[in-house]
Amino acid sequence: MAEEKTETGARSRPEDRAAPGKGTGHPIGRMFLIGSIASAIGVAGVLLIDWFPVQASAGAEDVDLLYDVTLIVAIPIFVLVMAVAIYSVVRFRARPGDMRDGAPIHGNARLEVVWVAIPAVIVCGLAAYAWVVLDEIEAREPDSLQVSVRAQQFAWSFQYPQPGGRPVESEELVLPAGRQVNFTINAVDVIHSMWIPAFRIKQDAVPGIQTETRAVPIRAGRYDVICTELCGAGHSTMRQNVRVLPPSEFDRWLAGQRGAAGASGGAAARTETGAQTGARTPLQVGAQG
Amino acid sequence: MTTVGRFRAPGWWRALLYMPIGVALSLGLVVGTRALIGKPEIFDGAAITTVALFIVPFAFLIGIGCFDYWFRWASGAPTVPEDHSGHGADSWRDYFRVNTDHKVIGIQYICTTFVFFILGGLMAMLIRMELLAPGRQLVDPNTYNSLFSVHASLMIFLFIIPVFAGIANYVIPLMIGAPDMAFPRLNALSFWLLPVAGVMMLASYLAPGGAFATGWTAYAPLSTEMPLGQNFFTIAVQFAGASSIATALNFLVTIITMRAPGMTFFRMPLLVWANFSTSLLVVIATPFIAGSQFMVLLDRAIGADFFNPGGNGDVLMYQHIFWFYSHPAVYIMMLPGFGIVSEVVTANARKPIFGYRMMAFSLLAIVVLGFTVWAHHMFVSGMFSWLRIPMMITTLLIAVPTGIKIFSWLATLWRGVIHLTTPMLFALGFITMFTLGGISGIMLGMIPVVIHVSDSYFVVAHIHYVLFGGSVFTIFAGIYFWFPKMTGRMYDETLGKLHFWLSFVFFNLTFGPMHLVGIDGMPRRVADYADQFATLNAIISVSSFLFGLSFLIFLYNMIASWRFGPAAEANPWRAKTLEWQVTSPPPRFNFDEIPTIVGGPYEYGVPGAVHGVFREKSKAVPVGASAGMRGE
Amino acid sequence: METSSAALGYAPLRDPAGPVHDEHGPPEANRSSRVDAQFLGMLLFIISEVMLFGAFFTAYFFIRVVGGAEWPAQGTELPVAIAGVNTAILISSSFTMHWALESAKAENRAGMRVGLLLTLLLGATFLCIQINEYVHLDFGPASSAQGTIFYGLTGLHGAHVAVGLLLLLFATIRAFRGHFSPTEHRGVEVPGIYWHFVDVMWIVVFATIYIL
Ligand code: HEA
Ligand code: HEA
Ligand code: CUA
Ligand SMILES: [Cu+2]
Repeated sequence: MAEEKTETGARSRPEDRAAPGKGTGHPIGRMFLIGSIASAIGVAGVLLIDWFPVQASAGAEDVDLLYDVTLIVAIPIFVLVMAVAIYSVVRFRARPGDMRDGAPIHGNARLEVVWVAIPAVIVCGLAAYAWVVLDEIEAREPDSLQVSVRAQQFAWSFQYPQPGGRPVESEELVLPAGRQVNFTINAVDVIHSMWIPAFRIKQDAVPGIQTETRAVPIRAGRYDVICTELCGAGHSTMRQNVRVLPPSEFDRWLAGQRGAAGASGGAAARTETGAQTGARTPLQVGAQG
Repeated sequence: MTTVGRFRAPGWWRALLYMPIGVALSLGLVVGTRALIGKPEIFDGAAITTVALFIVPFAFLIGIGCFDYWFRWASGAPTVPEDHSGHGADSWRDYFRVNTDHKVIGIQYICTTFVFFILGGLMAMLIRMELLAPGRQLVDPNTYNSLFSVHASLMIFLFIIPVFAGIANYVIPLMIGAPDMAFPRLNALSFWLLPVAGVMMLASYLAPGGAFATGWTAYAPLSTEMPLGQNFFTIAVQFAGASSIATALNFLVTIITMRAPGMTFFRMPLLVWANFSTSLLVVIATPFIAGSQFMVLLDRAIGADFFNPGGNGDVLMYQHIFWFYSHPAVYIMMLPGFGIVSEVVTANARKPIFGYRMMAFSLLAIVVLGFTVWAHHMFVSGMFSWLRIPMMITTLLIAVPTGIKIFSWLATLWRGVIHLTTPMLFALGFITMFTLGGISGIMLGMIPVVIHVSDSYFVVAHIHYVLFGGSVFTIFAGIYFWFPKMTGRMYDETLGKLHFWLSFVFFNLTFGPMHLVGIDGMPRRVADYADQFATLNAIISVSSFLFGLSFLIFLYNMIASWRFGPAAEANPWRAKTLEWQVTSPPPRFNFDEIPTIVGGPYEYGVPGAVHGVFREKSKAVPVGASAGMRGE
Repeated sequence: METSSAALGYAPLRDPAGPVHDEHGPPEANRSSRVDAQFLGMLLFIISEVMLFGAFFTAYFFIRVVGGAEWPAQGTELPVAIAGVNTAILISSSFTMHWALESAKAENRAGMRVGLLLTLLLGATFLCIQINEYVHLDFGPASSAQGTIFYGLTGLHGAHVAVGLLLLLFATIRAFRGHFSPTEHRGVEVPGIYWHFVDVMWIVVFATIYIL
């Protein structure tokens, strides 16, 4: 490394050679060994931690894998930094009263090129990989289910457009498993953001424009829908559920909703708490979450 | 002084007199205008307050005496010949008046900003108390929102950014061999703008409807709809921003025009380089946040339509303008720290900095790249989707120049003679913790990952790893490092080390677990959270209290050492840069004569190498105290 | 703030060798650049001013180009002719400003004073016409985003004209009180740079708002 090049200039520490620390072998070799072991432990430990919520969408697995790969790349970098820092401090620490100066090494062009090039390659690789994953999770599938999401302080509501009829409105997000859902999102008042951690998707709801995101739910169950853009005093209570059902059950649910809408003969037919949506009742919604 | 004289001379008395006059003026102005244009409601409290928020600060600044010289100058009156009466400090009182000495201003900056740090930190303690357990503990949601908003605003606009300006203010003129900054009176004004901005932010708690509660990012249209407290933020940011710009301009001019003879750009210490780069960022970027807040103010005050979708306005435009400043701002909050760490590491490893030129160029590279990544804060905002990939690539590329710096510091350690002093410990803590924070930044830069973790506690973890483990650690390093120079006394090493280790441990215990809760689905900016996060949040909260307490050690160390510490040598670190070649504290005008620079700033271990010499004395004699040190 | 710094401020901060150092003023700073400090300062200030305009032009860009809003807003009209005359007035003030500075350099006091006065007058005229235009426009800053942008950009510029006039006023007062000489004329030159900047900025604003 650095010091090899300037060996002749390093005259201020003659006894470096004489006192090569404890143990045997080249110090860099030893550091490398310790570093590798530490990285291995770190990577193993980190992969064992259950970082993520359940994987309830088709894209979740890709995202988690991307995350794990990033960690596998990043941990050795962190370990390298730690190892060099700790090793230097242990190995090159001044004894009390030691007033000498270190070796006057001003730089090493080759080394500097290396640590420009390697991180550049790494980040380009990561960027390329992330791009691929992004394209994958955002790919449109035919026959997707259309759901419009409307955000307002501090509640969500969802519409299922019906061909040739009024859209079905619902306070709760209900989705069929195994079919791509295309969300179109808008906001009534201020910015909100729809986060479904189990799907690994998040998209802001912005007044004045319509935003979009999509996911393929793959596991039946009940998951959180969370508002993640500060939207006022009720922000932390702006939560909802998404219920993923097997396709047949979903169809039944939708038909039921349609029927309910028809029965009450109005546009404002809603599920349980429906009647109150107009008036903002954030805490009630929050209580369900 | 007679009573009348007190109110006529510049100072606190006059400021106290002028401020109510400013209030009256605002009231008259608003009521007058409204009567004139025939508004039905003549007496509008919100409008009066808003106008007063602009006028009263100026009344204060005029009263305290920031403009006295300029008024005389502008009126063409013979300006008093410079008698240096406003320069330097003989007693503590001199720190409480308008002073043109960059050393006094530096200390004014540092003390003031630490007061705001403590206030912001105590708000963080309230945040953590509220989050100790699910459900409501302490405050209602709106107060909670205002707590983290004021916490972050104070920390960013009144601690990190100005404290670096304060340290640089003290050190840079000394480092480059200048007797003072280029514009000493502007320098004083920039300082006095700060308490104005800080007090305004704090005063927002008094506003009806509570303090501003829209986060430090104040996204429209929430910020255009919130109660009056928001105006306090909007206007305080103008004052803090003006202060930043004025200081940056001052640094740039000082560094360009006032370097000692022989100090070429590539003989400047890296702290000077760092502040040069930072100042470029400030001058170019800060007007954008001023602009964004002006627009918010206009939307609020006169119903303008910048961010009103109903009137053709564009909501996302706010974020573009805001982040075009605020991303560069994160480097404004980090580059000076890079400079400090370079100084500390090379002096304590007794080795030249590794790859000096690359260190300087990487700063400039970060400046340039920093302007091309703003939209990485908007990956889930619904902005143009084509902009995401380019922004992701530039964002990740910032790892390269930053990596150059990290690796160069490590290489500087290699084969050095490392003295583990307190500043060095903090510098090492910074190198490792910032790497962690930077890596979480890289993860945030990868779009599929950030779609999941954006606006979650993962981001809060990133923020604090880069800002506390990064910036604040370098600030501690810098304060300890230059403490002997600034006060002429030595701090207590044992307490310093204790402070470091407690900070280091509790820092990680506080902010490390935030990564986990974030990924697992806990959003940020919430007063309440799901039960599944209870355990980790309890750990975080308890650690954060201990973390906060560890700061008391620092506080005690600083105050006690400033009063009772042993006298410091001129050059306790045996460093080579110029500020160490004068007495501690330095003479009133820094140098008896300007030294001549004959070599690089970090020539440790190079036999016979010298950074600067005094021309008039013998040519070969190195300056000041290092003369005695050499030849061992 | 007060108490804490007071508590911190007790230490004797005097230089041990104080009196010796205090007897003389500061040593002359080295001039490491040929560029004059005030000139450079003004230049940097102008850069940040350009960026402030940049923020408002970004808004313009988002509303008009990205959002594709009609320009000017439907049913409104911008008085291009009057603004054109106003532009001519402002541009000519740049020439009088230049003349004032040249006169100062040539020790032509009368020329300098007249030049400054004329510049002041032209600038003030510009502002008055602008205000008159505001009064007669058929839209306000709150009627649509286009109106907001119009008032935002022209108003921001108007504020800069006002500041420039203030600086010129100082220079004029000083000129009449006998300041400035062929060697010492920065007090005219530096406000002059600012004034030229304000002019150039107007041409950009005029072109984007009224013409394009
Ligand atoms: C000091 C302040 C600071 C600094 C220096 C940084 C540095 C970086 N930040 Fe951070 N950031 C903030 C402060 C800071 N940030 C704040 C306050 C927010 C939140 C704002 C808010 O919403 O409130 C934020 C948010 C934020 C986001 C948005 C998250 C979101 O809200 O969705 C992103 C996304 O890309 C990001 C990325 C980065 C990157 C890539 C860097 C890079 O510069 C980091 C580069 C450093 C390294 C990578 C480590 C050292 C390098 C090596 C050891 C070389 C080898 C490394 C590799 C090959 C990987 N940051
Ligand atoms: C430099 C910047 C900086 C610094 C130093 C800190 C310091 C701290 N921050 Fe902060 N923080 C931000 C910048 C910073 N923060 C930003 C930008 C945000 C985003 C805001 C937003 O969303 O808009 C944020 C948000 C933020 C949150 C998230 C709020 C939310 O999203 O809901 C939390 C929660 O834990 C937090 C905690 C802390 C803690 C515990 C500290 C501690 O380190 C503080 C320690 C200091 C002290 C405690 C004061 C001094 C100590 C004493 C005087 C001794 C007495 C002590 C006791 C009695 C215990 N911060
Ligand atoms: Cu809606 Cu937060
Ligand atoms: Cu950023």
